[in-house]
Amino acid sequence: MAGASPAATLPAVAEELLSEMAAAVRESARVPDEHLLLLKFVFGSSALQALDLVDRQSVTLISSPSGRHVYQVLGSSGKTYTCLASCHYCSCPAFAFSVLRKSDSLLCKHLLAVYLSQVMGNCQQLSVSDKQLTDMLLMKKQEA
Amino acid sequence: MAETLKRVLSPGRAAGPREDTAAEVGPPLLLLGGPGSGKTALLFAAALEAAGEGRGPVLFLTRRPLQSLPRRTPAALDPLRLQKIRFQYPPSTQDLLQLLCSAHEARGPAPFLLLLDGLEEYLAEDTEPQEAAHLAALLLDTAAHFSHQVGPGRGCGLIVALQTQEEGDSGDALQLSLLQRYFPAQCWLQPVAPGSGQRCFRAFLEPGGRGPRAEWSVAFQPDGEMTIAPWPPQAGDLSSNEASGSGGQP
Repeated sequence: MAGASPAATLPAVAEELLSEMAAAVRESARVPDEHLLLLKFVFGSSALQALDLVDRQSVTLISSPSGRHVYQVLGSSGKTYTCLASCHYCSCPAFAFSVLRKSDSLLCKHLLAVYLSQVMGNCQQLSVSDKQLTDMLLMKKQEA
Repeated sequence: MAETLKRVLSPGRAAGPREDTAAEVGPPLLLLGGPGSGKTALLFAAALEAAGEGRGPVLFLTRRPLQSLPRRTPAALDPLRLQKIRFQYPPSTQDLLQLLCSAHEARGPAPFLLLLDGLEEYLAEDTEPQEAAHLAALLLDTAAHFSHQVGPGRGCGLIVALQTQEEGDSGDALQLSLLQRYFPAQCWLQPVAPGSGQRCFRAFLEPGGRGPRAEWSVAFQPDGEMTIAPWPPQAGDLSSNEASGSGGQP
């Protein structure tokens, strides 16, 4: 896992689940069914959508020569969202609405996909220049 | 006093015999208080304290240059320490975002403490929650990047001061609870009844899950000097003259 575990700021149950999954993957290269069930229980409907995103290789870890990194997730709509590696932030509308305003969900499906792909060890990787990484972090709104 | 101040500003570091040099930085801390409650002074004191530890530079971000350097003891204003504090003054929210996002482009040693004074000046009342979260998250991400550069076993601390209104309205409360998601540790500065020409505040530290809550009294003498003592203040702790100052109820 790159850097400190971002899951450290999740509730204990979620954090434990993710680290148990990581251990299981290390041992047997697959996620046990019980973990998948628990995932649904803890994260709700985001869990299936997140797993789907991971399966489709939608998560990319982007780093620059400085060592700083960020994630981008190709959403189901075809839009790309930017997720921070170190704390819970995603540029998607669901994060702004469900997570921040309504406090309905712990995470949006993109953030969960990022954590799952860290656990399962299957992110795409991309290198960009330091300046390009700055622009990605700025997350300027694109013209629709 | 220095030890007490360190503990105020480095939550998570146990004040036990094992004062390790590879210090645990603790979670990001939000320093909260009304206008004139001493946040800038405490932040600056933290900068001086950290600079004195000799582990590297300290980065202090604020909108305007400090009008006067908050004073502690003369020893603390050692020019060598001041040299280790890098001040930057991003004028607008966009400038601050640009600074944080491009922090990895800068050459030179990474800071091991990142301080921001006046977060409220960068968050207008009508700031969307997502924009406020973006700024908070970038502060954390920048500190995390510095931690990575500083090396394993160490890390870069983050302390941000936010001015709160005396009577919070609902807009403020929403923004505050959003910020608390990103800053697990908080230190509140509340005014207490003043005595004999000094301004006195109660610093209430919520370390965010690591270690117990703690309280201190912070007093500013008329000459600007700041003294810190455990709460509740004992008679004579707060004032440098004979009067016992604000009621030191045991």
